[in-house]
Amino acid sequence: MYDVVVIGGGAAGLAAIHSAYDPTLKLLLIEREKTLGGILKQCIHNGFGLHHYKEELTGPEYAERGILSVKDLSFETMLDTTVADVEKKSDIFHITIMNTELGEAVIQAKTVILSTGCYERTRGAIQLPGTRPKGIMPAGSAQRYLNIDGYLVGKKVFILGSGDIGLIMARRMRLEGAEVLGVAEIMPYSNGLTRNIVQCLHDFDIPLYLSHTITDIKGIETLEAITISEVDTHFQPIAGTEKTFEVDTLLLSVGLIPDIKMFDSLKFDVSSLTNGAIVDQRYQTSIPGLFACGNALHVHDLVDFVTEESEKAGRFAKDYVLKTKAEKRQLITIDPGDKVRYVLPQYLDITQNFDETVLSLRATESALRGTFNIHQGETLIHSKKARFVAPAEMERLVLKRSDLVSEAPLKVSFEVGT
Amino acid sequence: MYDFIVIGAGISGALITRELSKYQGSVLLLEKENDVGNHATIANSAIVHSGHDPEPNSLKAQLCVRGNALYEVLEKELNIPLLRTGAFVLAHDKEEEATLDMLYRRSKTNKVPDVHYLSIEEARTLEPNLSDSVTKVLSLPSTKVTYPWEVALSAVENAIMNGAEFRKNQTVTSIDYKDGIFVVKVNKDECLHARFVINASGAFADQVAAMLEQEVPYKITPRRGEYFVLDRRVKGFINRTLYPVPTDKGKGVLLVPQVHGNILIGPNSVFQDSKQDITNTKDGLNYVKEEASRLAKDIPYNQVIRTFTGIRATSTYKDFYISSSKAYPQFIHVAGIDSPGLTAAPAIAEYVVNDLIKKLTPLVRKTNFNPYREKIKMFHDMTPEEKKEAFKNEPRYGRLICKCEKVTEGDVIQHIHRIIPGDTVKGVKKRARAGSGICQGGYCEVDVIKLISKELNIPLKSVNYYHQDTPILLKETKVKK
Repeated sequence: MYDVVVIGGGAAGLAAIHSAYDPTLKLLLIEREKTLGGILKQCIHNGFGLHHYKEELTGPEYAERGILSVKDLSFETMLDTTVADVEKKSDIFHITIMNTELGEAVIQAKTVILSTGCYERTRGAIQLPGTRPKGIMPAGSAQRYLNIDGYLVGKKVFILGSGDIGLIMARRMRLEGAEVLGVAEIMPYSNGLTRNIVQCLHDFDIPLYLSHTITDIKGIETLEAITISEVDTHFQPIAGTEKTFEVDTLLLSVGLIPDIKMFDSLKFDVSSLTNGAIVDQRYQTSIPGLFACGNALHVHDLVDFVTEESEKAGRFAKDYVLKTKAEKRQLITIDPGDKVRYVLPQYLDITQNFDETVLSLRATESALRGTFNIHQGETLIHSKKARFVAPAEMERLVLKRSDLVSEAPLKVSFEVGT
Repeated sequence: MYDFIVIGAGISGALITRELSKYQGSVLLLEKENDVGNHATIANSAIVHSGHDPEPNSLKAQLCVRGNALYEVLEKELNIPLLRTGAFVLAHDKEEEATLDMLYRRSKTNKVPDVHYLSIEEARTLEPNLSDSVTKVLSLPSTKVTYPWEVALSAVENAIMNGAEFRKNQTVTSIDYKDGIFVVKVNKDECLHARFVINASGAFADQVAAMLEQEVPYKITPRRGEYFVLDRRVKGFINRTLYPVPTDKGKGVLLVPQVHGNILIGPNSVFQDSKQDITNTKDGLNYVKEEASRLAKDIPYNQVIRTFTGIRATSTYKDFYISSSKAYPQFIHVAGIDSPGLTAAPAIAEYVVNDLIKKLTPLVRKTNFNPYREKIKMFHDMTPEEKKEAFKNEPRYGRLICKCEKVTEGDVIQHIHRIIPGDTVKGVKKRARAGSGICQGGYCEVDVIKLISKELNIPLKSVNYYHQDTPILLKETKVKK
């Protein structure tokens, strides 16, 4: 029986097991791939670590830091091992794992941390029109083929969606000699970090078509051409605005989704806004002893905050397992209000001792200046002015226990302007 | 020189080839694509219809009801998946109820077993997500669902086990008839000879027929049908096929539970010129959504994992056109096989052999015909004991590569090395389901490419997506030692 099992050995899992570590506890880290580090391994560009390590690192360097940080801690690691199913029976988690040493086996744990990262939204999920030839793939897959396996997937490329991976891959494909004809984004603003728009598109003269989407794909066996159209405010294509590009590759960067499908049997509450678990400020899901962090919880734009969040989740999981008596939760909700897409955590457990907690949230629109407000019931309990707010960039508010005035639900809203 | 050449490895051609392999004589099945069943057979509603819909006394009615019964035999012999779902036909007003009554009478005439009406209350108990606007329900218990593509694959593999020959990537480019022998030219260079030619080339049937016939008695008018696929997490949202009442445009938009737990929603029905343009259109999909809302409420479209388009080989001849050529009797047309073609296919195969070919030539049954094809059991479907045994013999069963559909490396390897190998990324997807889930191959595609490369000993750059010359990995960028 393990005290804590961390599922997923990327940035989140490494930080979680680091802080969950206690010499008296039996810990296990499970990783699907043959090496730790997760998706960072294929992110060979720099820009990681500015917040957490106060220096600029590449993805593999950032991963290396995480791996080194746990090197001297004594816990078990299972590599090349996939979790097929997790069930909870009478307070114990039963984790079905698979690898080539054990075949299928079940291990038990008192606490589980989900740090399984996210997967890329597909063309099927966004119901892209046109044919279905070879040459259309998620940008992250192309990144993996290029940076890990060493293969270029196309020579004339268009990118749908301005998520960060799409922007990074626009530059990366160009550097490898491919022609990148443009990036189309259905929203009137980019979904990537500003620095990526500048460094990956502007610096390479790659056009960004805002308020555009793909309206046709041609080619039966291999991709031959794509057509983009401008969209109106209801995201409907405007006739007469079509532009056609002859390409052999279409990369999709149309969103990331927490990868928690293998935990379906647990039936914990999932947010329709984040597609990840609903958690309290300890990152505990609706199932006691089950914690979630990193991109498996909600998709981050900076790995630094994945690390920060996962360290907390690991610590709370450790506290949970070390605590001897059963606890009762008393939850108050934290809801997104006006111009806020989501807030995480979704609950505050007021039975817990805490001085402050960080709320992660995203605005629904861009603004040069604005104010984030937290109301409890009708009372404004916290305000924070913000600059350069964009839906693509996660915002963070610090909520102090002393801010609370009642046990009423909390609501976070954004007000554009000074 | 072959006794029989079958053109087209769709569901009809596949089952005809298997039927012929029961008899002495040489059979060759030609397929222009890189795998079996790449057109109508992979992209349809997957329903084994009861036979409530085709006009009485038509070949469609006769072969549909017979075909439905034959699927029970195929299930035992070929180990194909067959879900006994039953179906509801739903009416919404007096006019539609009148059509329902007509269908009821037609079902009786067509000898559809067990057809009956249900009260709205009974229907809702069985299908709680039924649309509120439904007023009357006809139940068709003999309706089933299968995985059509696997039926075609299994049939061809079983035919190969029994001596038939299968060649893919063979486009028939001309057909001549000299001294009682057909000369079938493939890929413009190789000439093959046969006593009989069976033209089961789906949407291309008129084109292939025109290579020989002065006058082709039908024209294929392709009809597009678009679908949504919901993830198998929605399993149980509906448990039966839901039909609206049919119109002159066909059976209409349906909701169909699939053998792997997914739900299909579609199809629309749009005539188009192209025989192979499988474009999905925004309008088409919107139409499907609108129509589907009459069948069930609160359809979970947030669980859509894929959309696709299939092409029906509808012909200008109202019924199936299954007949010996007037000018060249040993050339047999199997054309216009649109719905209920999948259901009828096993009966079409019987009909072609028993009612057409046997009239022209005596056939002698093989004494050693083996009707059985063992299923390649997936690790996930094995009992704990079977899992242990399988893992002992093949440790790669322990590596789960497709988390969505729970497919292991061992499973994929079995499918790479089966009689008709899964030697492409989509070929593996269709056989082993790796890549059929919510991430659509985002995780496992790389593993599948590497496995194909390793198992078949071909370079990574030669592993195709599906068709010939469609490699995913184009150019090496890293310097290799």
